[in-house]
This record gives sequence, structure tokens and C-alpha cells, in this order.
Amino acid sequence: MTEAPERVVVVGGGMAAVRLCEHLAADDRFAVTVLADEAVPPYNRILLSAVLEGTHPTDALTLRSAGWYARHGIDLRLGARVLEIDRDAREVVLVDGERVAFDRLVLACGSIPTLPPIRGLVRRDGTLDPRVHPFRSLGDCRRLDAAASGSPVTSRAVVVGGGLLGLQVARALAVRGLPTEVVEGADHLLARQVGPAAGGVLARDLRRLGTEVYTGARAVRLTPDGLQLDNGYVLPSDLVVLTAGGRPSTALARRAGLMVRRGVVVDHTLTSVTDDRVHAIGDCAEHRRRTTGFVPPAWEQAGVLARALRGEEASYDGSRSVARLRATGLDVAVLGDPERAEGEVVEVTNPISGSHRRLVVRGGRIVAAALVGDLSRVGLITQLYDRGTLLGPDEPGRLLLPESGAGPAPLPDEAEVCACAGVTAGQVRSCASVGECVDRTRATTGCGGCADVVRRLVEDSPTPVAVG
Amino acid sequence: MSGTRTETRTETHCPYCSLQCGMRLAGRRAPEVSAWEEFPVNRGALCRKGWAAAGLYGGRERLTSPLVRDRGTGEWSAVSWDDALDRVAAGIRAAQAAGGPDAVAVFGGGGLTNEKAYALGKLARVALGTSQIDYNGRWCMSSAASAAIRAFGLDRGLPFPLADVEETDVLVLVGSNLAETMPPAARHLDRLRERGGTVVVVDPRRTPTADRADLHLQPVPGTDLALALGVLHLLVAAGAVDASYLAERTTGWEEVRDSVASWWPERVERVTGVDAHEVRALAALMSGRKVMVLTARGAEQHSTGSDTVLAWINVALALGMVGRPGAGYGCLTGQGNGQGGREHGQKADQLPGYRRIDDPAARAHVAGVWGVDPDTLPGPGRSAYELLDALGTPDGPSALLVMGSNIVVSAPRATHVTARLEALDLLVVCDVVMSETAALADVVLPVTQWAEETGTMTNLEGRVVLRQRAITPPAGVRSDLEVVAGLAERLGSQASFPTDPEEVFAELGRASAGGPADYSSITYDRIRDEQGVFWGGKRLFADSFAHPDGRARMHAVEHRGAAEQPCADYPVHLTTGRVLAQYQSGAQTRRVRSLPDDGPFVELHPFLAARLGVATGEAVRIATRRGEMTARASVVPTIRPDTVFVPFHWVGANRLTNDALDPASRMPEFKVCAARLSPVEEVAQRPSRDPAA
Repeated sequence: MTEAPERVVVVGGGMAAVRLCEHLAADDRFAVTVLADEAVPPYNRILLSAVLEGTHPTDALTLRSAGWYARHGIDLRLGARVLEIDRDAREVVLVDGERVAFDRLVLACGSIPTLPPIRGLVRRDGTLDPRVHPFRSLGDCRRLDAAASGSPVTSRAVVVGGGLLGLQVARALAVRGLPTEVVEGADHLLARQVGPAAGGVLARDLRRLGTEVYTGARAVRLTPDGLQLDNGYVLPSDLVVLTAGGRPSTALARRAGLMVRRGVVVDHTLTSVTDDRVHAIGDCAEHRRRTTGFVPPAWEQAGVLARALRGEEASYDGSRSVARLRATGLDVAVLGDPERAEGEVVEVTNPISGSHRRLVVRGGRIVAAALVGDLSRVGLITQLYDRGTLLGPDEPGRLLLPESGAGPAPLPDEAEVCACAGVTAGQVRSCASVGECVDRTRATTGCGGCADVVRRLVEDSPTPVAVG
Repeated sequence: MSGTRTETRTETHCPYCSLQCGMRLAGRRAPEVSAWEEFPVNRGALCRKGWAAAGLYGGRERLTSPLVRDRGTGEWSAVSWDDALDRVAAGIRAAQAAGGPDAVAVFGGGGLTNEKAYALGKLARVALGTSQIDYNGRWCMSSAASAAIRAFGLDRGLPFPLADVEETDVLVLVGSNLAETMPPAARHLDRLRERGGTVVVVDPRRTPTADRADLHLQPVPGTDLALALGVLHLLVAAGAVDASYLAERTTGWEEVRDSVASWWPERVERVTGVDAHEVRALAALMSGRKVMVLTARGAEQHSTGSDTVLAWINVALALGMVGRPGAGYGCLTGQGNGQGGREHGQKADQLPGYRRIDDPAARAHVAGVWGVDPDTLPGPGRSAYELLDALGTPDGPSALLVMGSNIVVSAPRATHVTARLEALDLLVVCDVVMSETAALADVVLPVTQWAEETGTMTNLEGRVVLRQRAITPPAGVRSDLEVVAGLAERLGSQASFPTDPEEVFAELGRASAGGPADYSSITYDRIRDEQGVFWGGKRLFADSFAHPDGRARMHAVEHRGAAEQPCADYPVHLTTGRVLAQYQSGAQTRRVRSLPDDGPFVELHPFLAARLGVATGEAVRIATRRGEMTARASVVPTIRPDTVFVPFHWVGANRLTNDALDPASRMPEFKVCAARLSPVEEVAQRPSRDPAA
């Protein structure tokens, strides 16, 4: 029984698209075509700031080499831009007029950066001012990289947007040695994720690292002198990076008559509520009135969709989000929505050392958390959050406190100090020298791990005196 | 320890782990242990088990007569050897008459000498004609073996002497607690650090081994694979990989490189519970230095164990370390003859010399040595757990011969396995004491043990060593080789089954000649003269790997995670392992009076203890989907708060463990499952009842 494989056409070549390909690669029931508008094979977008910072070369970001797609029968088309979706004909139309037929269409178009309302960003001819850089694609990253290191020497950079991406880019530029400033319209940094106290810790960390921060200030105009803020400041700058958010890329879906609110509206199988042959995953999808901008939900959606396409039981019920800042010198983890999640708040703030740690606990379970400036136990707290572990009443507080720093207690005589030979502290103390101890008890002769303890015990104990 | 008389001292090796420490024995009846300073592996050092090894003798529990059990009354009676062997042979014939050759199964052990392992495999294939033979080593090193064969074309635990550890710059121990499981080996860590080297330990518990580490990472059990992917991701990003080595000596790198592009440190943190900065610290340590990665059961005993090993092998290969002096990858084997036990034919898919049983050339060669027609040799049989799972079922064996294994204690999902043993028509167990498994048998055959018999072991380095007979066995016992020969004769086998170990070893050498593990040039005299002989040479892979093209093969592997994840009903991870003073199922060590035996315990973090309201010494009940046990709590801050640990030397721990199998190695997932703890209120208060019992 060899039926013709189902033609799955994926619009977009981002991380959600590749994950879907990985799920479908081994399955010959599907013939997958990926229409990627960028000219390079899909790459790990979330490490772009690491490329900018210099910790990763660009080729370390490639998710799968071109040969991988070919070996798995996936038709990866680079530079393929989709103009229209013809739902009646079940075809997509490329800008060059080519039509690609589909049985299933997957929209994985991602999001597009929004241009903030700053006068002077766009010149009269419709192009961006050469000082202005969006930061979304590898191309953006390369251009920014060139501008930041090119000649004439760039003197000052301003990052517009104090969210996760903005802070990563700001740190990347600063680590490269470029004087950098951050402008954030809200009254504190990372305002979508954390509260003012945490934002304050971050701002102080950034200033300590040499990056000035302007919060509660909107950039309003780009002039030859620099970037002008609504509070009157003008930040002299020859590099302006826009990181102030993006919105789901929905133009194609909208024109095709699919239901779109903020994103393409899908049900629990990631299927468009308008057309059951059309699906959406990743940043462009809207599920239960929510869109996300993170990779883990996009990957979960890709997994659910792959199962659904194979006809297996599959349901997407939303994702637990964990946002981690990847920037040298700034420590941030945000689990869920710590400002808006309902629950009891356990919080430890130390403005002196610069840390803010907040757990939101509901019914004994961590439902959200913000860890800023001190990430100790972040791995454990994330596990407890992801798994919904039921905690004891004191546990959230103990999780936020440092491990007790009590020094080692003196060893009681019955404590075993040499496990290999079964020797107790008392037996060691009764010896006059390490040599005697070795001869009498064989302590230290097995794994050797107790040598230091034995030496200390022998030296600290009073020399046995012969009693006549 | 000091003797005024000069007496004969026999040079031999410890009865326990894969280090096979050299020791000397004096005395004819109850041996006295003394150091054998010259033996290079341990240089005279021994752990408590080794010093107490003589305690194996003189116990009242030693079996000295064959016993048969009346199924109606459950009573045991002593019978003569002839009677016992006749009964076994008759039972085997009856089973095979009804169910064909595969109605009889054989289960061996990684503690058996090479000679016994070889004889047992030959018994199965020639005298019994059954394909149904496997051994408990399947539950030990099989994941590492499978991975090494796929990557290098050859599996030898360590492809270099253990002492090479001291020559590396960075030693990464993944899932090994060698300071407790093979203590004298830990001395190498100290010497490495004295030289300025760095020790890294990856273990969910801060063990005595981790106490000696410069960096200790504590991942969630079952996530070592993701950690390896994350480390390789950072090594690629840092440009630390050895491009010319990869080009000249490996295949498959491109796909491996691509597969780690999506394992950035913060993702690794979320999966493994290891803070991202620690992942970065590990990768930074490994960049530009000589690196040695060693895995052990903690990394391997998983349903993703073989892929986990492959992931760490990829790290070692990417750095260009495999085959370099003082660097590379190795597996620290566990059981005394974990290495040799898997080389000589007691594994379901193998013939002597580590040959594949489905390879026509291998079959022809071995059949030639055995003097039988190659077509009469059976094909591959079931793996250890699958074999036990099939016992007494309509398609499975109805008779089982066990040698060198205490299945009831050591098998995963032990309650189920015990029920399968009870469903047999005939269970025959060869042992020195009435082990928990022997207690279920129809016939128990009392056999000689260490120091009463001679035979070779292959230690973790691939060094073949000679355990020499030092004392006279008690009257009434026979060697396993004699049991094999006695059964073969009764079953009318045409092949000969010698009972002299040196003769068997010579035959084993011929059978292994030309195979991957070729023992043909090794003799007892050479072993004595050279303090052990490495098969295949002292160091492997310097110039080429064992695949036909001479290259190592890199395999892109993906993290899948443990088969059973914590949930609301079973919210913590359970992992299992060993303690210093006990060994394996405890059948030997629990009977040595000078070794402490405080019974099993549940190790848990103070956070978890507070959640439950239990303190050290109080009883806790631990349950999984497969069973439960009660043991005393041991509250320590050195374990992950979401994980508990139970040692597996006592009945109970393996009632809890999961029987999910690795698809490649068929290794059960001993090292992680989901568990629930609850306090046991009153029992702990009553002094009259031991809560640990």
C-alpha cells in the first residue's frame, strides 16, 4: 500500500519550521517543502546576540546543514518568498509567480520587528537611516556586527528597548568595548517580565558595567546629532539598535481570509479555525488568545502538530515559559509571569548586593518566579516550576536563602573517617602519629581520601602519654 | 599483618569489583589477606571489602551438598551430586521435549571467570542447543559496550591503563562514584590533582568522589546526554574542536555538529537542572586541554544509556582526544569480570572473542574449535531482562540454569521477575550460599568460590589477570566447570568440556583467535610473568579505529529523557547505587561479619525531609508504580532536593526500579524512575522492631 505522500508546505524557515521538519524527517508519508525567505539555511535565532558578543561564530548557529534536508527528502527552498495563499486551489504563490501545491499548509512565519514611532528612522526615500539597525535576522546581525566594528569607527550606540533582547544586545555591544546606552519607555527595565525592584537591580548592574540606562523615556526623533528623547535628552549616537518588540507575521494569513486576531487563530491541534488544512506554529500562531515570542513553546507546538499530522492523539495546552537572559554580567531568569500570576509571593531582595528573588506560590506550587542578580538554585527552581512540584510550607523561603555556611562540626569519636578500612575518629585519635595510625588501622591506605582528616585528627589530639 | 614464619603466599586478586586489585593470600583453610605491593593497578592498596575478603570463609551458611526442594512442602533435602545432576538433565530433556531447544535458558554473571563464561556459552550453544542465554552484565556495562562498538568498532572498557588517568589535564567522570565503588582507583584522582590536573564529577549526589572534584555538576537523573550536547555546543562555539582530527579520523561530524546547535546553555539548564554558568565552566575547562571522559553506571543504566555514552564519546572525539596518550574516552566497568564476561559467549548475541553470533565467518570459526557443524549453532537469543520476562510464558523457556547471579535482588522490577522465576518448571541455581534466588530453586548446586579455584578475569583496563587457587575447597562442592561438564555429559554432548581452567583458557584462546577480543596469545605463564596481559595491546586507537575504514563513527543523538518522569502521584526521582562496604546483591558481603551491614536506607535532602517531616533514622516508605519498600531515612544536603537514592544491595530497591529498556543495549533503566515517599509514623518509635528490616 503505497499512497502518494501528503504534501506539507511550510512557510517560514525559523526554529519552529526546523523542529517540525525534524519530527517529520523519518516519516515517508510526508513530502515536506520549506519555503524560507532568508538566503541561509535555518539557524538558531536566539543566539544572534551571542554572535554579536563574539562567543559564537555564525556557523555554530546552523541548525541543520543543507545536506541534512536533502538526505531526509525535505525540499528546502532558500530565498523563497511567498506572495499569496490560494486556499481554493491549495497552492501558495511565490513572488516569482511559481505556484507550490499543498495538502497541508503550515504557517511558521514568525514575527516581524515593529518600528517604534521615532521620527527620522525612515528617510524620505523609504529606507532606514544608515545608523538604524533592527535586530531580528542573521542579516541584521551581520550588518550590525560590521557597523559596530567597521570604519569609520563607531563611537556610541543606543539600544531602543529594555526588554530581554535589548539587554542582550546592549551587553553584547558593551562587551565589545562600545559605549552603549539603553532607552526604555516603561518606568523600569524588563517591564513585561519583572517588577520595579528587579528592574532597578538590573539598571544598577548595567550602570556598574558601564552602560547608561534611561527608563520612562521614549525616543522621539533621530537627528544628525543623535537620538532625542521625550525628556529632552539627546543621546549622541552613530548606531541605533531597535529591539522594541515585534508582532506576529500575519499578513499572508489575513489576505487568505484566515481568522487572525493578534496571530493566526488556531485550536488545540494548531489548526486554523477557518481552514482545517492550514496550521500555524510559533510566533505567528495565536492559541487561546495568546501568542508567544519564545522558542520552547514553538517547539512544543511543532511536536504537537507533527503528531496531529500523523493522525495521533495530540493536544497543545499552552506552555510554561522560562525566559533566560543570555548576557555576560547580567543574571536574569523569569519563570511564567511573576508580576501578574496569582498566588502568594515569597521575596528576598538585597539592594545592597544587587539581587532580587521572587517566587509566586499557589497551592504549594511555584507558578512564577523572577530571579535577578543571583541565580543560585536556578536549575532546581526551574525543575520545581516545570514539574509543578508540591512544596512544603517552608520550602519556598529556604529555596531563596543561601546554603547554610556552618563550618564542619568536630568529629565525634564514633564517626567513621576511613570508609575503606572502617576506622573511626576515636581510633585515629588514639594514635601518636599518622604512621602508627596506618600501621594499626590501615586508615588512608585504600582510596586515600581520608589522609587530610587523619593528619588533622592526629595532630589535634594530645599525645598519648604512657601511664605506668 | 606481620608474620614471623615465612609461608607460601599466593598472588591473586580481590573477589569483588572490576579493579581486580592484586593481593596475596596465606593459609590453607581460612586465608589471610596481605598486600601485593608490586601489582600495578592498586600498588598494595585495598578497600575494606578486599581486606575482609577472607571473611567469605568459615561461615555456617556455606552450602556443601546439592539440595533439592520439594515443591509440595517447600522442604529441602540433600542429595548426591549424581542424583542432582541426573535430575537437572532429566528436567532439561523434559522441557526440550515439550518446548524445543529454546525451552531451556541459561543466565550467567559478570563475576564469572573467563573460563566459566566461555564454558557456559558453549554449554548453551552446543550441549543445550539453546539461543536463550544472557547474563547480568547486560545490566551493567552493555550501554557503554554498545556505544563503543558503534563509535570505535571495538569495546574495551578502558582502552588504556587506569594509571593514564594521572596523565590527563581534565578528567570528567560522568556517573561514577569510584571513591566508594572501587576505592583504590581514587588515588589516581589525588595524584592527578597534585600534578595540577582538574577533576570534574557529574553526579546527582555529592559523593566522596565528587568531594575530590574541582567542579561538581548535579544534573537531574537521566539528563547526562543533554549535558553532553550542551558541552559540545559550547566547544563548537569556542572553536575548541580539532578540525583536522575530525577530518582525518572520524565520519559523521557534520551531522553531530548541527545537532548541538540547538543546545545552548540555558536550554541545557532547563533540561538538566544544572545552572548554565556551570555548563559554561565545564566547557571552558575542556577547551584547549588534554581531556579524558570516563562514564560509569550513572550515565549508562538508562533507557537512553547507549545514546548518552555516544554523546560523551562525541565530545572526546570532537576534541581529538581518543587515541591520544593520557586522553580519550573510557568506561569504568563494574563487576569483577564485567569486561571478560561479555567477551566469551554468555551474551545472547555473541560467540567467544567478542564475535557476533550472526556472522557466518564467526560461527564457522567457533564451530570448528568446538568440533560441531556451524549450522547447529543457534542464533541470537533474548537479552537478559527480556529473557527473564519470558520465563514460564507460553513462548518462553520453562527451565533455567543460573550461574553467578542473584536475580531476585539484582533484576529491575524484581517482584515481576520473581514471579516469572516461580512460573518455571525447573530452576537450577549454582551458588556458594542460599541466595535469595537459590531459595526459589528446585535444585541448588554448591560450587567453589574465589580462592578455592583458579581462573582468569579481565579487569576494567582489558588486563587479563589470574586468580589462583590458594586454599582447599570444602568437601562436597564442585567447580562451575565441573557442573557444566557433568551436565554436558549427561545430555550426550559430542563436544568435550574440560574442567581444568588452564585447559579451558587455552581452548578459549583458540576460539577467540582472530576475533575483536583475541586471547590466543595469552597464557597463564605470561599473565604471571607480566602482571596481567592486555588483550589487543596496552593502548588502543592510537593510529586507527576498528571499523573497516579505520575511522571512528560519530552518531548524532537526541535527548529523550527518562522513560518515567515525576508526576503528581510520584513526584521525586529515584536513583540507585552502591555503598562501599557492600557488593552487588550482597550475597557475599552481607555474610562477611567484619563488614558493616546497617541495611538499606533512603537518602534524601533536608528540603524533602522537611516536606515529609522525617529525620535521619526514621522510617520512610518509598513507592513506585512497581513496588514499595520501607527503610530508614538518611537526610543529607549532598543530594539534589528532587531526587532520592536507595542502595541496591538489599532486597527491595529493585522492586522499585523501572524495566524500560535501552533500544540498542537492552539495558534496563535502573538509574531513574518516579517515586513517592511517605513517613512511617510508629514503626520507627518501637525499638522492638527494626524499621530497616
